[in-house]
Amino acid sequence: MTEPGPERLILKIAAHGDRAAFTALFMQFAPRVKAYLSRRGLDGTQAEELAQEALLTVWRKAAQFDPARASAAAWIFTIARNLRIDAARRAQFSQRGPDPTDEPLAAPTADVILAAEHRGARVGAALAALPAEQLEVIRLAFFDDRPHADIERVLGIPLGTVKSRLRLAMSRLRKLLEDDL
Amino acid sequence: MIRHHPSDATLIAQAAGQLPALHAAVLAVHLSACPHCRGELRRLEDIGGVLLAELPPVPLQPDALARTLARLDEKVDATPPAVAPITLAALAVGRWWWLGPGVRLMPLSRRDASGTRLDLLCVAPGRALPGHGHTGPEMACILQGAYADETGEYSAYDIAEGNAGLDHTPIASPGADCICLVATTGRLRGHTWLARLVQPLMGI
Repeated sequence: MTEPGPERLILKIAAHGDRAAFTALFMQFAPRVKAYLSRRGLDGTQAEELAQEALLTVWRKAAQFDPARASAAAWIFTIARNLRIDAARRAQFSQRGPDPTDEPLAAPTADVILAAEHRGARVGAALAALPAEQLEVIRLAFFDDRPHADIERVLGIPLGTVKSRLRLAMSRLRKLLEDDL
Repeated sequence: MIRHHPSDATLIAQAAGQLPALHAAVLAVHLSACPHCRGELRRLEDIGGVLLAELPPVPLQPDALARTLARLDEKVDATPPAVAPITLAALAVGRWWWLGPGVRLMPLSRRDASGTRLDLLCVAPGRALPGHGHTGPEMACILQGAYADETGEYSAYDIAEGNAGLDHTPIASPGADCICLVATTGRLRGHTWLARLVQPLMGI
């Protein structure tokens, strides 16, 4: 038996507060959430704390996880992203996007769970099909906090080229994922 | 009908949590009315999930799991998260200032750390939108009424990005006052490169 995927782990947590499922999810995602937060410029202590907080939020909001809307990884990503924004917020207005956990939800059917499990795989395949330089700008967009001058230096290309690569990457991804998501 | 959507760079910045807060406040108005862009954003968040799952893990402290497990039964006060105001009524909580004939401004926020400010701008039908100094609006979403310029007509929930003050003359359309929510960025310092991408006029 292979281990259940993260979607099923979250649904087990939602259904009966399954601590074994939580532990498995924690082992899989907490170190990656910490990696994400570190790349976004948090120091080791903050990244550690927020990573634990993110998984704690997964536990608390598991009942609101909707596999019809998001894969488990995407859901956890938005939770970590929003925790980071909340932690960094100084302005009067929140910049966080609408939380997928903000909406009510009916019990997911088996095919919806399957679709969520495949969703991540399809997006992964589409990303892997991108030319390396396009994948690089997408990855930097999600994970890099450096000022633009550094980006130009790191990639050795002007900002306008970064922008056109992002646009190319997006239109290609759209084609690859059309009708899929 | 929505005709003008945010750019890819703006949506990516939003998905990545990198859009300056006040620009995100403007985008929120558009998203509330645009299922297409909400779908795009979901797709981008899926991409974020895949990239997250592929990141090389950074080990947590040895007691991290135990500490988190110990907190699972903590009671939490279920305060609902603050939701960004998206309707004119919810946004227009300040007072209008007269800027000129047919033009009023309601400041909603001082300049933040990124040098961005947020305002409501109200222009009477047939009046031209004023430029603000040398920068002009960076991102605007129309809440009521409409305006037209060389690039087309903008009406409710349309997004206009970039420097409106460069070489076009937006004029409020006949009918109701044209009211826009506008995030304007006046300086560059402290911006990440992605934030720069969504502010095309910042001296590139």
